Parts: sequence; C-alpha cells; structure tokens
Amino acid sequence: MSGAIDVRDTTGLAAALEAVLFTLNRPVTVLELQDILQSPLPDVEAAASALGESLAGRGLFLQRHQDQLQLVTDPAQADVVRRVLRPEYPSRLSPAAYETLAIIAYRQPLTRARIEEIRGVNCEAVLESLEEKGLIQETGRLETPGTPRLFGTTMKFLQILGLSSLDELPPPPQSGSTSS
Amino acid sequence: MPEVTTELERDPVYVVRTAAFDGPIELLLTLAQRAEVDLKSIALASLTDDYLRAIDQERPPLDRLAAFLVIGARLVQLKAAGLMPDAMGAEAEEDLQAWEDAIKGRLEEYKRFKELAESLMRRHASGRFTFAGLLEPEVIPQARVQVSLDALASAFQQVLDRLPAADQVTFELEHVSLADKLDHLRQMLAHQPQLNFSAVFQHARTRLEAVVTFLALLELIRIGEARVAQPSAFAEITVHAQERKEN
Repeated sequence: MSGAIDVRDTTGLAAALEAVLFTLNRPVTVLELQDILQSPLPDVEAAASALGESLAGRGLFLQRHQDQLQLVTDPAQADVVRRVLRPEYPSRLSPAAYETLAIIAYRQPLTRARIEEIRGVNCEAVLESLEEKGLIQETGRLETPGTPRLFGTTMKFLQILGLSSLDELPPPPQSGSTSS
Repeated sequence: MPEVTTELERDPVYVVRTAAFDGPIELLLTLAQRAEVDLKSIALASLTDDYLRAIDQERPPLDRLAAFLVIGARLVQLKAAGLMPDAMGAEAEEDLQAWEDAIKGRLEEYKRFKELAESLMRRHASGRFTFAGLLEPEVIPQARVQVSLDALASAFQQVLDRLPAADQVTFELEHVSLADKLDHLRQMLAHQPQLNFSAVFQHARTRLEAVVTFLALLELIRIGEARVAQPSAFAEITVHAQERKEN
C-alpha cells in the first residue's frame, strides 16, 4: 500500500478522500474528486459512503449538498466547537426566511415567481437576504422569456441545520392539486 | 336579508307600478327570490327611470337610497342569472368549483410549507450546526496544479469572449506592437509581482490587442521573466514576476 492514489479498494479510496477533503477544507464537487483521486464516479461515490459510515460516532462529519462534499464537524459537537469559534451564522431568521428556505429546499431549483405563487407575497427582499447570508444561490436560469433566475440551497444551508444531506430533511409535502 | 325586507314592508322603499307587478319593491325582490314572479317580464331599466324621477321630486333620506340600491342590485343579479342559459350556468359553476379547488390546494400547499418552515426553525434553533475547519484554502500546495497549455488557452478564450462581439467592432487600423506590449507587461509585473490572468488583459480593447498581449505573456514565460500558476483546480490562473536566469 505505497502510492495512495493507486489504492483501488474502497477503504483506501475513502482514506484518500478524507485526506483530500481535510486539506481542501471547502465544498469539493465529485467531478473535481474524480480528477484528484483519479477514480471513476462510482468509485468516488462508494468511497464517499464508506467515509460517511466510518465517521459515525466521530468528531467529524461528511456533508453532501447535491454534487458537493465537505468534511465538517459533527453536529453533536456544535457546543464545544462554538466555544473555540465565534461563528457568524445567523442565530435566528425571520419566519418569512424559514418559509422561503423550506420552499426552496423542497422544490429546488425554482424561480422567484414560483416561490411568490406559493407564499402569495413578494419575496424579493427575503431572497436577497438569504442569498447574502449564503444560504441560497442562483443555480441557473430558466429557458423561458426573460430567463428568470433559478434558486437552490447551499452547503451552508446544511451546516446551519446540521444535516448530512438534503435527503435528511423531513418528508417532503405531497404535491397536492398544484404541481410545479 | 328577509328581516330587512319585512321591516321595510310597512314603509316601502318604493312602490313599483308596472303591468306585471304592482307593489312594494321589497315584495318584488322576495317574490323574485322565490321565483314567484318572472323578472323577465319587468323592465328594470324603466323601473329605475321611474325611481330616479320620483326621488327628484321628493328627496328620501340616505338610508332609503342605500336600501333601494341594495334591492335594485339584487334584482339585476337575479335577472341576469335568469337570462343565462342553463348550460352556461353549469359551466360557470364548474369553473368556480375548479377555481375554489385551486385556491384550496394552494392554501394547503402553503400550510404544509409553513409546517416545514417551523421544523427548519426548530432545527436551526437547536444550534446543532456543523463547522468547517479554519484552515485557509490559500495554503494549498501548487504541486499538482501545473498550468497546462490547454488551461492557458481556455483562459485566453474567456478573455476573448468578454470582448465585444464581432458585429459591434468598428474597423480601424491599429498599431499594436509586441515590443510595446512586452514593455507594458514588464511594467505591470514590476509594479505588482503577482497578477491575475484576467488583469493582464483588462486594458485590451480589441481582439488584436488581446492577442498581442497574450503573445507578449508567452514570450515573457519563454525567456523566464514570468511564470504562471493556478492555486487550485478551476481557480483563476495567476501570473508571477520572476528573476530572469542569466546564462
């Protein structure tokens, strides 16, 4: 087991992944990881789930937001970490902000018009504030006249909720008579 | 408003006198509501004209005028509904039902999101955040990222793409010499030993100027006065001044 990159088995690749995520210390896309680990996508994915499992009960935590992975501290250790960090996370958001976040989290990507249709009020200011806080971002544009911006959540959204991925959100609302 | 009607019957708001109906207007409304009088046979327009003439002579108090308006509006509504063919009435009712369902669906959807928002809020308030390390990404070793010619070429393509499209360019003879650009680039690097790749081209106004600047940069790299690096994969390429090694 000399050249770490040559290691083809999942355990070895998971260790390499852990080392890379620790060093980069930012959200890293699986595309980048394929290049860095010189491994095809299925192997990177397998390594990611192996790493996530092996971190259970440890101080670190593997977070996944869509195609991005990041190594962060475990939500259970938030109190002790807070003692050494002075995090700038917003401690509280407005009810309108939580509503808008919920709609975006479950229906992403979607336009401001669609959000406003559900909430029934103008959402310009609340979207601006959420974007400024780094909790949502533009993920693309809709191919319709005016090419409106599409919004999605960010890795930071998972971080303020201590979720390992979007799949951990409470069960989504059944799309009733109106579907997007 | 049956109680209003009975109250007013003792002192009618207006007494209608037409061939089809003769009596207080309140009674006309009551009977029309019970379908005991056919509103189609009563010209509401001429009834209104008669009323306007009547109040011209003797001005009734405001509440009486308001009462007439309410009763009159209801009569017009009833007559309009009666004039509508039955089929259309059913369709309109269906439309109304669909509209009501849509509103109800939307309210339910909103209610569900409101509940989810509350669960997000509770989760956030629990303070179980995750934190990234404090290590600054700048210290990432450059070892694995050597700028390939391809990366350099595609970065240059991005610079070209930023320039105005061909149909917006006015043609003029320009003299951009490689020597001038070499001097300019040397001055920039002397002033600021580390530059972003895009900053090198920020003064280029035309494709030709950008191309010559790029050639000048390649020349500086070739003769060892500059080198290019990329701090991490997909990051912006940086240009660094370098002491020329004299042979």
